[in-house]
Amino acid sequence: MSNVKVEAYARALFEIAQAEGSLDRVEDELFRVARAFESNDQLRATLTDATIPGDRRQQVIEQLLGGKANAATVQLVSMLVTSGQVRELPAIIDALVKRAAGEKQQEIAEVRSAIALSADQQQRLAAALTKVTGKPVNLKVVVDESVLGGLVAVVGDEVIDDTVRTRLEQLKTRI
Amino acid sequence: MNRLINVLVAAEDPTVSHHWLYPEIGEIIYGGLAAVIVIGGLVKFAGPMVVKSFRGRTERIQKELDDAANAKVAADADAKGIRAALGDIASERSRILADADTQAAAVLSEGRARIAAEVADLEAKADSDLAAARGRNTDELRAEIAMLAARATPIVVQRTLNEQTKAELVESFIQSVGASR
Repeated sequence: MSNVKVEAYARALFEIAQAEGSLDRVEDELFRVARAFESNDQLRATLTDATIPGDRRQQVIEQLLGGKANAATVQLVSMLVTSGQVRELPAIIDALVKRAAGEKQQEIAEVRSAIALSADQQQRLAAALTKVTGKPVNLKVVVDESVLGGLVAVVGDEVIDDTVRTRLEQLKTRI
Repeated sequence: MNRLINVLVAAEDPTVSHHWLYPEIGEIIYGGLAAVIVIGGLVKFAGPMVVKSFRGRTERIQKELDDAANAKVAADADAKGIRAALGDIASERSRILADADTQAAAVLSEGRARIAAEVADLEAKADSDLAAARGRNTDELRAEIAMLAARATPIVVQRTLNEQTKAELVESFIQSVGASR
């Protein structure tokens, strides 16, 4: 899919979420869906399998997100699945998140952690990253057990990596 | 006539006795004459032949003497040559033996030097091979240890990483980022 098409879908989703009045929550939930789509092979295979009817794939989405996510989030993801754009779901959602952050004059800070962060930790981390980058950040935390421990934060082109995984890699290289 | 016959045949009178040792006068005369005639004939006719014979014999003897002298000279020359040749042979033998000794010494020296060099090369190669093998083994051992350590470290770290440690790591990250600028 071309960038223009991705941007068009992202703008549409952004406007729908904004119209629903739940942009922050929807954007945050979509971001998590995108990360789950990237990291879960079974989910990705199911949603991208053309032999599975669209209704069935939509049911999968509703089973996964229903009751947990905002209704607008479920509808937007279902729309991407039924329209055959599910392969571009991460790109579209990333563009949406970026657009939302831009609207708020924020920088996206994607943080990967082995454990879930408390609200207090997220707040302090956002403040610390804001201090580092000089811009207010929109923190997106992804629980990723592959980092083993510690955090890695990606803000624009800057990467702050203090994960156990990276330290082990460095140790392995030194060995 | 009778006298002549007597003279010619010098017949004696058997009746006359003679001295048992001395001949008769006539016998001496006629005998002497006959001897002179015979000797004269011999000198005249046989003398040249005898002289010639003696001269030829003398010449032959002289020739033989000369030949012998020449042969002696030649033999002396040959002997001298042989002695010289013997001397040359001896000196040649000595020279050949000396050359052989020199060449043998050179070959021996060269052989010793070559063997010493080959031994030194072999020792150096053996040392090098040993060092390389030692280094290889050390490297392989080091790589093996590194591989085992690389495999074991994540497992050990994951086992020791409990929730509290993970939370501490998160706090550490937040604090270090906040304090960085």
